[in-house]
Amino acid sequence: MASAKLGAAAVPLYILSTVIVLFLLVPLVLPFVLSVSDTPFVTFPPRGFTLQWYWIVLKERDFTDSLQLSLILGALTAVGAMLLGTPAAIGLVRYKFAGRDVIQSLLLSPLIFPALVTGIALLRFFSSIGSQNAFANLLIGHVLVTIPYVVRTVSASLLQLDPAIEEVARTLGANRLMTFWWITRPQIMPGLFAGGIFAFVTSFDNYAISMWLFDAANVPLPLTMFSLISRMFDPGIAAIASLMIVLSLVLVLLVERIAGLQRAMNM
Amino acid sequence: MSTEGRPAPSRILLRVRAQLQFLRSSIAGPWSLLAPTVVFFVIAFLIPIGLMISFSVYRQSASGALEPGMTLANYTRLFSVDLYRKAMLTTLRVSVLTTIFCAILAYPLAMLMARGSDFVRRSLTIIVIAPMLINVVVRSYVWRIILANGDAGILNWSLGQLGLGQMRIIYTEWAIIIGSVHFFLSTMVLPLAAAIARIDPSVEEAARTLGATAAQVFRRVTLPLSVPGLAAGSALVFSLTASSFVLPALLGGNFAKMLGPLIQEQILSVFDWPFGAALATALIATVLIANFISIGLVERRYRAKAKGAA
Repeated sequence: MASAKLGAAAVPLYILSTVIVLFLLVPLVLPFVLSVSDTPFVTFPPRGFTLQWYWIVLKERDFTDSLQLSLILGALTAVGAMLLGTPAAIGLVRYKFAGRDVIQSLLLSPLIFPALVTGIALLRFFSSIGSQNAFANLLIGHVLVTIPYVVRTVSASLLQLDPAIEEVARTLGANRLMTFWWITRPQIMPGLFAGGIFAFVTSFDNYAISMWLFDAANVPLPLTMFSLISRMFDPGIAAIASLMIVLSLVLVLLVERIAGLQRAMNM
Repeated sequence: MSTEGRPAPSRILLRVRAQLQFLRSSIAGPWSLLAPTVVFFVIAFLIPIGLMISFSVYRQSASGALEPGMTLANYTRLFSVDLYRKAMLTTLRVSVLTTIFCAILAYPLAMLMARGSDFVRRSLTIIVIAPMLINVVVRSYVWRIILANGDAGILNWSLGQLGLGQMRIIYTEWAIIIGSVHFFLSTMVLPLAAAIARIDPSVEEAARTLGATAAQVFRRVTLPLSVPGLAAGSALVFSLTASSFVLPALLGGNFAKMLGPLIQEQILSVFDWPFGAALATALIATVLIANFISIGLVERRYRAKAKGAA
């Protein structure tokens, strides 16, 4: 029983938590409510019912171009973060060596280092080496800030895998590559998958890096939304917001189904 | 001579081979796996940040050209010009208050996540993590609509319906704080829940059996033992709030300006790179100090505990 562990605090705790959960969730339902209003402006309470705004935004070029860019950028970012993050996680978890803590802190530091500053530094760096391909610049920036997620989720999976199993494979004559492919890889798949999804979502949602590295032909979706918010006041914005919330929720449930959220978050 | 000399080279060979093996297992192993990522971090992270910090002591000529040379003018400007000092203070105030409110709201959720039934834990995990993946622009947009002035704002419309008058929240520090608490609450809950889950439930139970009230159990047992999680969560929330751009830009506007929007303005509109870099460096320093304080808090706790044990 839950209350056995919580004692007399159980009832007030549940009441408080309900209120806080409402504070957390109700604002996220709002865009759906606002997006069906049959009025030229966002109003509350909404009047009438229409789905026309969804059709209108899906035909808006600014939106679809940015959506397409962000989907491609997010997918490539996830691949890049997995390719660079997975071997690093194996190196950090499976070996003891001098400087291990330093390397680990370095690889996780983009999680706590102000992304805004990382973006400025990259902008300056790219312009000083003459790298003017905005898409490539965005990709490098996004991979950099998403590697920590893969390192964390893959490390969590590796810690649950007994290294003895890998040693047995090695003793039985498998080389390092074979051991990785047949023993380690299947075990870390859930963590790798969760890390990839987090990398994709983080890239898809990123503003702090993209705001410095975009150009007119490569505007990620959050930037387009930001500028639409300041110049559009119809329920179309609410429709875009609703679509983005649905996409995030689908991805969360996917991680929960495949990797288990608690495990994936390294808890 | 040859028979005498024989054992020596083989011994050396053996030693060399052993050393090579040691090298292969201890250095070549992890480093061959880590090298590409570490090199990537050095080129795309450490070098650019180092360069940016060095820009903060550059001079910019009237034509916009950067002149290398040591000057602290950009930093003195940050503290002597009213507008910039105000932005710095706003940033600190908003970040500290956001961290405090997040901690207060996070404890009930974290305790249920750590101690609730399986069903409660599972659903709370989803409820807490799912919003983390929802875009900051989307969330700022929602709070703009809730907090807007007049009947357009949902909060003010509701207050009006109840006959309670109107409030001016949007474009104040409070709007940024409310939006930030909503955005970073999950970031606080996760480390806190992990820390509370590590507390042995029998310790809390012992306190209860000995007659402690629920409030006493929390204040004397749960709270002190969860300090590592609280410190980690607070450092994260403070750092992320202090360096945010979208929330203060959309909710604070020009009336409550924080460092993030100020830096963007200096670099992308004014093109004052050295001053922008100085502001960014000040932001890094703020975040580092917050993290050192958090680490210090945890270490002091453990030292106190070690002393208590001795």
